[in-house]
Amino acid sequence: MTLASELGRSSRCCLSRVGVPVAAAQRLATRAAGEFSASGDEVGDKNADVFDRELKSKQRDRAAWFMHESDPILDTVTENLLDRLEDCKRMFPTALNLGGALDHVQRMLHGRGGIERLISMDTSVDMIGRSKRLAAMDGVTGEEAKRSALENMQIIADEEYLPFQAGSLDVVISSLGLHWVNDLPGAMSQCRTALKPDGLFLAAMFGGETLRELRIACTVAQLEREGGVSPRISPLAQVRDAGNLLTRAGFALPTVDVDEYTVRYPSAMELIEHLRSMGEVNAVRQRSLVMSRDTALATASIYQSMFGESDGTIPATFQVIYMAGWSPDISQKQPKRRGSATVSFQDLQTAFPPDAFSKTSDDPKSTSTTKSITELASESKERERTGHNESEETSRTTRLPSGSWFKLD
Amino acid sequence: MVRGGILVKHAAFNTSLLQYLACPLSKDPFRYCEKSQELVNDSLGVAYPIIEGIACLVPSRGRLIEKLPEDPKPYPDAGK
Repeated sequence: MTLASELGRSSRCCLSRVGVPVAAAQRLATRAAGEFSASGDEVGDKNADVFDRELKSKQRDRAAWFMHESDPILDTVTENLLDRLEDCKRMFPTALNLGGALDHVQRMLHGRGGIERLISMDTSVDMIGRSKRLAAMDGVTGEEAKRSALENMQIIADEEYLPFQAGSLDVVISSLGLHWVNDLPGAMSQCRTALKPDGLFLAAMFGGETLRELRIACTVAQLEREGGVSPRISPLAQVRDAGNLLTRAGFALPTVDVDEYTVRYPSAMELIEHLRSMGEVNAVRQRSLVMSRDTALATASIYQSMFGESDGTIPATFQVIYMAGWSPDISQKQPKRRGSATVSFQDLQTAFPPDAFSKTSDDPKSTSTTKSITELASESKERERTGHNESEETSRTTRLPSGSWFKLD
Repeated sequence: MVRGGILVKHAAFNTSLLQYLACPLSKDPFRYCEKSQELVNDSLGVAYPIIEGIACLVPSRGRLIEKLPEDPKPYPDAGK
């Protein structure tokens, strides 16, 4: 595998959105360029894929051997993700661990969220083998009672074709696994189907700002040396798309938050080495398969000159989007039906007159003017019954946008 | 294989997974065939291999199973 295919970069900002428009654009671009994919004989819709899944699984096979026991980025992200399990009162006995930082999730779980069975899933055989060895090692050394109490199971499967029965899982955890999926709305929708009602979907994926410096350096270098650009950094989801993805997949109570990590490396080569060990190398179908040494060196030097810190190290940004969604259930809070209000806005104005807040708290008059909402509701009902409108006097006064009262006469 | 001095035996397939797993294409539950070490989806006629105790449920690895041929019907005038 040449260095070319592993140095990621992209110039087209429009490629930073994941979704159907990208796939359609890619299809047109692929046909126009007359490119043939690495896997050769894929027909039909396969050319619409942005990512080459077979290549990705081979890259992850290799990363399984490169990966260290603990990786700063993967550890931090996984820890943050699993922390969210502790925020939930519910227990989740059966968990699905979608690929990405598989064994990091397995290792750092520590029985959080009441997880008893963890099913680890990945397309890469070697990654799964690694997960299996981790499970076996825990059994032999018996390190922590909590960890060995976890029942570990592994399967090899593709995230886009989720092999689970409907309503069989309690929680789906994906730590940095979904940003290489072609059909992300489809994958998330299948996750929702596989979850039981009131099941949790937790995912962390890389956001659009990730490796921003590398993207810029690669683009500039390529423009200088080759006069054209090809996608080198994979298109990544934007934060604004993450919320839409969750609602489109049918999740209730969606939550999205973003974290940015800046990691410093001695040079661009160490960054690439790190990406390779995480399995995060380029697998975009449209990538250029050749990169000259000139361009590679130019990239490194541009990176250093544009973004180099005073001590000679270079920063790399990793923006992680944490998404959480619940599969719909009747026990979740629903908005009230229209027309079921018991208190009107006018009652609120009576309860909180404009000068109530300007008075000091120990003023006896102010306490008498504030009434509870239930009292107001009963008052309004009485008023309707008796037909007597007590607020006739106050109807002459109207409140200006500035907050001061103006009397109409 | 050996890594870090620990030998990992090829475990048998964990049958408790069967209550969760389904065919990736049709989401139907499986029938576990121990003899051929496959997970069979009878409604679609696809079988997925189990390699070293790990089920491989990628659609491209599925094998179409051929139906057994029915007994050939005798010719109308066979006995004559």
